[in-house]
Amino acid sequence: MPLDWYPLFNSLRIAAVSTVLIFFLGIAAAYYVAKLPRWAKGALDVVLTLPLVLPPTVVGYFLLRLLGPQRPIGLWFAQVFDARLTMVWYSAIFASAVVAFPLMYRTARGAFESFDQNLADAARTLGRSNTWVFWRVRMPVCRQGILAGTVLAFARALGEYGATAMIAGYTPGRTATISTTVYQLWRTGDDEGAMRWVLVNLCISAVVLLAVNLLERKDKKNAAPAREVG
Amino acid sequence: MKKIGILSAALALCLGLSACSSTASQPSTQPSAAPQDQGEPVDVVVFAAASMEASLTEIADQYKEVEPNVNLVFTFDSSGTLKDQIQEGAVCDLFISAAPKQMNQLDAADTSGQNEDGLDFVNHDTRVDLLENKVVLAVPDSNPADIQSFQDLASDKLSLLCLGNDSVPVGAYSLDILASLNIDLAALEDAGKVTYASNVSEVATQVKEGAVDCGIIYATDANTYELTVVDQATEDLCGQVIYPAAVMKCGTEAGMAAAQDFLDYLRTSDDAHAVLEGVGFTVLS
Repeated sequence: MPLDWYPLFNSLRIAAVSTVLIFFLGIAAAYYVAKLPRWAKGALDVVLTLPLVLPPTVVGYFLLRLLGPQRPIGLWFAQVFDARLTMVWYSAIFASAVVAFPLMYRTARGAFESFDQNLADAARTLGRSNTWVFWRVRMPVCRQGILAGTVLAFARALGEYGATAMIAGYTPGRTATISTTVYQLWRTGDDEGAMRWVLVNLCISAVVLLAVNLLERKDKKNAAPAREVG
Repeated sequence: MKKIGILSAALALCLGLSACSSTASQPSTQPSAAPQDQGEPVDVVVFAAASMEASLTEIADQYKEVEPNVNLVFTFDSSGTLKDQIQEGAVCDLFISAAPKQMNQLDAADTSGQNEDGLDFVNHDTRVDLLENKVVLAVPDSNPADIQSFQDLASDKLSLLCLGNDSVPVGAYSLDILASLNIDLAALEDAGKVTYASNVSEVATQVKEGAVDCGIIYATDANTYELTVVDQATEDLCGQVIYPAAVMKCGTEAGMAAAQDFLDYLRTSDDAHAVLEGVGFTVLS
């Protein structure tokens, strides 16, 4: 049987798109929630962190109840765009984005909470706009936290199985991801094939984490000289 | 103090909720290794094909009247999954498979050559062919793709078909049907028209939800899930769909003895037959 690399391409594609989505949504959520009164902050924290603690199958079930072809959003989408939201490759993006969102959100929240507001205020006194302050002061200072959140989100999106299997099924060459392929290969007794994909996934994860490590070290190296001054 | 109070309240809530939830698969008593006394509760672990869930659950309620001290504990899943679980050491008193293949793979007395690993989990003397089922093509209520027969699977009308994977008995039967009708599965896969599920209930659920245009399942599942059947496979397409049942060697002593009684009940009781035939099974004598 010829080597079918589609699951690799599909998994990376889904994880990449999900991570981009989560990057902006998670940071936006973290930024605006931090400004809310305490009771709202607490309630939203719970709701937005929920997918992290729910079993992926529970998340998958909720998504199916919303996006299925006979369900409210699924029906509307089919009527307007003549396309389906489930059982296609991009269905997995919904699943991955939802389960990985809390990781980005929480790390960004943590990073923003420990951000020194004086820096932002100083920039404001110099006449800079809120947007400038956000992208040129807050984000660079919170860089470590944001990066950690992004990597975690990417890793989680890449490794998503339960919700993905429920919402995208397993269509070889269309919706197959590495995780669903490993399951199917194991289920049908193809241990060799399953092992191959396990190793592929290990390699990718190792590469991603290594890259993060290198980036962190480079950061620390740039920050170190400050100590030697004076 | 306030933190401890909140934490213990949360813990108590979680414990309370878990105590409230009760599933049919939780044993209500401890399994006993001693010979079955009158009134001594016994757990019988039954591994059964997913397609039997509705009927066996109903029969279990019936059986509670016949043998009140026997607690039937079911695991319903694809027969391929169940066979793997037994092979990996699961405790099982009675196994009902949706095809002879999975039973053969566990049977030391198998003559078909399917028992490649030389497994010995089946008490061969107790093995019987219990039921017969039919394989059908089912569609969602509105039949959006207007699928009318197995032959339509090769046409342009089809955009997504759900099959069991080949470790699922109905999946194996589906492959036989497609091969018998000279429908090129590889071509369908290349076109991205086939999605695979891990057991027949999953296939039925996909069809029910309208997530796929059609699915190949059993007549009994179509009945249970109230799905429209558009075509039925005749014997020349996939052979007879036989469900063998046997008491296993990997159960508890008391469980296996009670399992034999339950198997006899399934074979001979008119009430059990009524339930099984009600969903579409044919009970073999």
